[in-house]
Amino acid sequence: MKPRIYLALIIVPLGLILAAVPANTTHPYKLSPEDLLEYVNSGMQYFSPDEVAHMLVNKDPSLVLIDVRSEDEYDKFHLPGAINIPLASMLEEQWKDYLNQDLRYNVFYSNGTVNSNQAWMLTRQLGYENNYVLQGGLNFWVETIMNPTEPSSTSPVEEIAKYDFRKGASQALGGGSVVESSKQPAPDLPKIAPRPKKKRVEGGC
Amino acid sequence: MGPLIINDIISQNTNFFLAFLIGIGFGFVLESSGFSSSRKLAGVFYGYDTVVLKVFFTAAIVAMLGLLFMSLFNWIDLDMVYINPTYLWSTIIGGAIMGAGFITGGFCPGTSFCAASIGKIDALFFIGGMFIGIAIFAEAYPLLEPFFKGSFRGTPTLPQALGFKDGVVVLGIIVVALGMFWVGEWAEKKFPREEY
Amino acid sequence: MSESNKPKKKTRYINPYLGGVLLGLVLIAANFVSGRGLGASGAAKSVMVATVNTVAPEHAENALFYSEYNASHPEGPMKAWLVFQMLGVIVGAFLSGAIFNRLKFKVEHSPKITSRRRIIFAVLGGILFGFGSQLGRGCTSGSALSGMGVLSLGGFISMAFIFGTAFALAWFFRKNWI
Repeated sequence: MKPRIYLALIIVPLGLILAAVPANTTHPYKLSPEDLLEYVNSGMQYFSPDEVAHMLVNKDPSLVLIDVRSEDEYDKFHLPGAINIPLASMLEEQWKDYLNQDLRYNVFYSNGTVNSNQAWMLTRQLGYENNYVLQGGLNFWVETIMNPTEPSSTSPVEEIAKYDFRKGASQALGGGSVVESSKQPAPDLPKIAPRPKKKRVEGGC
Repeated sequence: MGPLIINDIISQNTNFFLAFLIGIGFGFVLESSGFSSSRKLAGVFYGYDTVVLKVFFTAAIVAMLGLLFMSLFNWIDLDMVYINPTYLWSTIIGGAIMGAGFITGGFCPGTSFCAASIGKIDALFFIGGMFIGIAIFAEAYPLLEPFFKGSFRGTPTLPQALGFKDGVVVLGIIVVALGMFWVGEWAEKKFPREEY
Repeated sequence: MSESNKPKKKTRYINPYLGGVLLGLVLIAANFVSGRGLGASGAAKSVMVATVNTVAPEHAENALFYSEYNASHPEGPMKAWLVFQMLGVIVGAFLSGAIFNRLKFKVEHSPKITSRRRIIFAVLGGILFGFGSQLGRGCTSGSALSGMGVLSLGGFISMAFIFGTAFALAWFFRKNWI
């Protein structure tokens, strides 16, 4: 039989199979259980309240605070500049581009740490990076930043410096009072396509 | 899980060594299929020798089928594989100039190296000409740079541009290619030329 | 000159379809191992930049083309995947030529034209190809073949224009080939 016919007999059925079968879209971004345990034990996903306050005071554009509580709780009080993505609706299509991006740091927070950590685990296993958790949540935030405890005069210099910073931050961020409940519009994020990791950059043929 | 280099399964040095081996395979196949002869290469444009058509399209189809099937079995992650970016006008004009070079010189860079390594002197001159051409481009680069970097369309794939699935486009290409093979065989019978 | 005495010289080449399948396998291997396809003109560019670096380093710093390339290749222009691949190509082609007994110094040209004419056209073709491959970011191997293998649109456009232009101009060059 002519080689051409052989070839045709092989590639046409293969092509038909490919045309019929749906494409494979599983991507191995997940952390293995061991890696995940190591990660959470080391607390690498945490942003301390001091760090966040620092970024807020400096109006650092790379920070996005995400309130994972329900809408009502968000309306009552939320951190300045935070957007509201309730945990229950986190998988909705409209939030995907906010959660899966590589431009800014998303810091989840809730009242304590349970819900924000849940949000973190969820998004991490979807393969989204750049998501973090506010250490201690709002409760800790109020204790440390909003109402910092005044160190005694015999404390080390760093303690006093930290206290001064927190006092200043709490004033800049609205003091101990409730932040205006105006629903702040979520920050404008450029439409980023789900990004594959580093592509082999081999230009020029 | 491929590509091996991305997931750090092999080191950069192994990568270069394997590149060498892959090159050996490449050169061997090209030369043994007859791509070291400028006359055979130019034959596709006159009908008397359509080896370029057959090898080219068979290789492209085999590669497409192979990569897509490997992706189905999760042996390779196609998101990590390099896809040529599309700079519309520089590709078009560059392609046209290359076409003129092809019919004039009868070689393309890859085949010219093959031919040169088996002793074809015209291939050596072709390679020399290539270096001159690159030098001309380098000198003209400041002028050409905006054109060279313009009309960037990202890295679309043909299925994305056409709006069909990958498999459907591959099937279409297979059908078109088989048609071309049949036409090629007919042309070879109709326009035979003495070999020299 | 009687036809019956001269044996019909038929060089042994492998079946083109088999060649195509093998080439496709090589391309798959390249993608699997290194996540990229094959190429050729990039290696010529590397050699060119390396030459200019050694022969005229000030020019390499001043000219945009060379300085850009050197900036993106901190370990030197020759330490590139394509250069190693190209070395392999030369070795592989030599092996094949040796096995099939095709090693011979000659200028291959149609009996209707002279050697000199062939060489002039080869140089011209080389200049055009050198310029065009840099502009088009690839040659037939790198852009057209490897691009088609991963279904890249740029690859198909490249392929269409290279072969389309060559077909369109074929009539004018027919004296050189047939």
